[in-house]
Amino acid sequence: MGCTRRMFIAGSVALAAPALLAQSVAAVRFALTPVFLDNDAAVISGLQAALAEGMGRGVELVQRRTYQEITGALLDGSVDAAWTCGYPYLQHQTELTLLGVPIWNGQPFYQSYLIVSAEDTAQDIQDLRGGTHAFSDPDSNSGFLVTASDLARVGETPERFFARSIFTFGHRNVVRAVAGGLTRSGSVDGYVWEVLSAVEPQLTARTRIVARSERLGFPPFVARADRIDDPVVAACKSALLGLSGRASGQAALALLFLDGVAPADPSLFDGIAVRMAVLGAAP
Amino acid sequence: MKAAWFQNLPVTLRVPVVTATLMIALGVVASQGVLAALRHVQDARLVETAQLHVEGLSVALGPFVLRQDVWEVYDILDRAQAASDGQRLLQTLVADEQGEVLAASDPRRAPVGSDIATYEAGAVAPGAVTMTGDPVLRVMAPLRYQGRDVGRIVTELDVTDLLAERRRVTLWLLFGNAAATVVLAFAGWLAVARILRPVGTLVRAMDATEGAPRPIADADIPRGDPGLARLIATYNRMTTAVEARAEAERRLAERERFVSLGRLSSSLAHEINNPLGGLLNAADTIVTYADRPDVVRESGNLMLRGLTHLRDVARAILDQNRLDRSGQPLRSVDFEDLRLLFEPEVASRGQRLAWFITAGDETLAALPSAPVRQVTLNLLLNASEAAGTGGRIGLSVTNGADVLSIAVDDTGPGLGPDHLTRLLSSGPLPPGGGVGLRLAHDIVVGLSGQISHTRSAGATVIRVDLPMGAVP
Repeated sequence: MGCTRRMFIAGSVALAAPALLAQSVAAVRFALTPVFLDNDAAVISGLQAALAEGMGRGVELVQRRTYQEITGALLDGSVDAAWTCGYPYLQHQTELTLLGVPIWNGQPFYQSYLIVSAEDTAQDIQDLRGGTHAFSDPDSNSGFLVTASDLARVGETPERFFARSIFTFGHRNVVRAVAGGLTRSGSVDGYVWEVLSAVEPQLTARTRIVARSERLGFPPFVARADRIDDPVVAACKSALLGLSGRASGQAALALLFLDGVAPADPSLFDGIAVRMAVLGAAP
Repeated sequence: MKAAWFQNLPVTLRVPVVTATLMIALGVVASQGVLAALRHVQDARLVETAQLHVEGLSVALGPFVLRQDVWEVYDILDRAQAASDGQRLLQTLVADEQGEVLAASDPRRAPVGSDIATYEAGAVAPGAVTMTGDPVLRVMAPLRYQGRDVGRIVTELDVTDLLAERRRVTLWLLFGNAAATVVLAFAGWLAVARILRPVGTLVRAMDATEGAPRPIADADIPRGDPGLARLIATYNRMTTAVEARAEAERRLAERERFVSLGRLSSSLAHEINNPLGGLLNAADTIVTYADRPDVVRESGNLMLRGLTHLRDVARAILDQNRLDRSGQPLRSVDFEDLRLLFEPEVASRGQRLAWFITAGDETLAALPSAPVRQVTLNLLLNASEAAGTGGRIGLSVTNGADVLSIAVDDTGPGLGPDHLTRLLSSGPLPPGGGVGLRLAHDIVVGLSGQISHTRSAGATVIRVDLPMGAVP
């Protein structure tokens, strides 16, 4: 984590030549969602450069607005691999396979945070009844499923419990909506909130965490299951798992505040599956 | 009445005051022009800002308002607010067709779902926004998308800086105009004082000598100002004319003394000639009857009375004409002298004379002899002339506690307007006629006395009241 963004940019420039060479071969299409940290060009280009170096070919990072669009692109072959969420992975578990899962703070887990504005006095989710609420994406685990399943456990739905709920299609947007007062509360990816508190402390300082979920499987890298033997997919998997072994990968990981990417087992997402079951959306 | 005090101010003060007033008026008009232009520019800036903001947002917001996408609407407003750096746009609210707030750039002030009507008070169309003095102005416009109104947008514009700019300009104009006015008023005062310096010299020359104007020296005549130079030259000529006139009047008054006596000369000649016949007879009788002491004594007495009369007449004439009589007090004998001089005139016209002197020497001594004699003689001569042959003339000299009254009456037809003007006023003399009455008037005024004129029962009475102790 000691790597600064400036150092990374310098590294990116140094790596530009092999990346250009790699583009002589067909580029790998890699999808990201705006739900994630997609607002930082340095992060995007850093990740792109690291993957390109790892695969020895060009990488095209494809950004879509929703998880649904990313999943659709993955399934119809528009993209070769994607960094998505555990919830859509479980929704399409039969069609998708895990390439790896990021390691954050030494573990492949993260939490969902229920946040309110800094001056709000709410102590738990029950205090938020009748307020407005910001979700990130209807297919997001931390940004929807956790809160929706919590409400389902007490016999409520978001539509009934909140006066109004909106989707911002971005965890950072959830933090902005709550910090700016657009909604009283929000469901946000705990990893994103923590990273934001390091890079944009003035934004997260205007919010307060009311509740944290149990630890759940970190959003994984996935590909279509029927393409697991595709050299492109295999190269992609290899590049992801080897990120921490290369300077460019370490720089990208540092910008993402991640330790590395580890092989993942579907059981990692059992917690999410439990919540899906609560909501009646079992995989 | 208000202008009276201003009229009384010196012209060297009035002109700067008028200059300053005009400067202030000019400053006010110019300031109004500048402020109006500033207001126009500021309004144009506001309209441009409001229209660009609203139109730009309308394009971006249309589809999201139609879909009621709260987050996207907020995201656009939030980013627009950040882009504007918060300098002009205080707050922007967007509502759906029903007027329910979808999102605002400051959701804490305008929560999602609140009624936008609350925030529309005083709002105007973007093209009609104008500075009202309120630091916050509201603009409202419909949101049009795909040819129909899908919602409304309300923007609050912060115009504190424009108001401050206007205040600053107003203050600068105020202080600038005040300073310019003071400087120009002072410069005006200096210039006018310099320009009017010859006029001041003229006024002082006219005032300083109490009615006897003094000419202005050539060195003080402003050659650079032909108008003023002509004015002063005219004034100098006028002073010379006035001096000449005063000298003429003085000589005329001097001559009048001889004139009045001259008018008596023929009767006085008779007065001298008649006794001379008796005296010659008496001398002849003495020569013829030198041996008769009784006849000589009687003739001697006759000659003595005759010569005494001649001596008295001669003294009266000398007294009337002596130049060094000034300072001598009035006595009753002065009136006797006048009677001696005047009676032959009365006798020559067959007139009757009533002579009534009650004031004693102690009272008369409070007044000077020469002027009172002259006034009395002039009035008597005038009365005699007016009364005509067989008329009646009276003189009455009486005294009160502190006033001596000399009244001359006659049975003439009365004084005409010209004569009254000469006697009673100090105004210009009508052409023609003598100066006797005017001389009497001037002498009485010089003694601080008063002249009154009455006409009743066929008689004219001219009364002169002289305050005691009025030595000129």
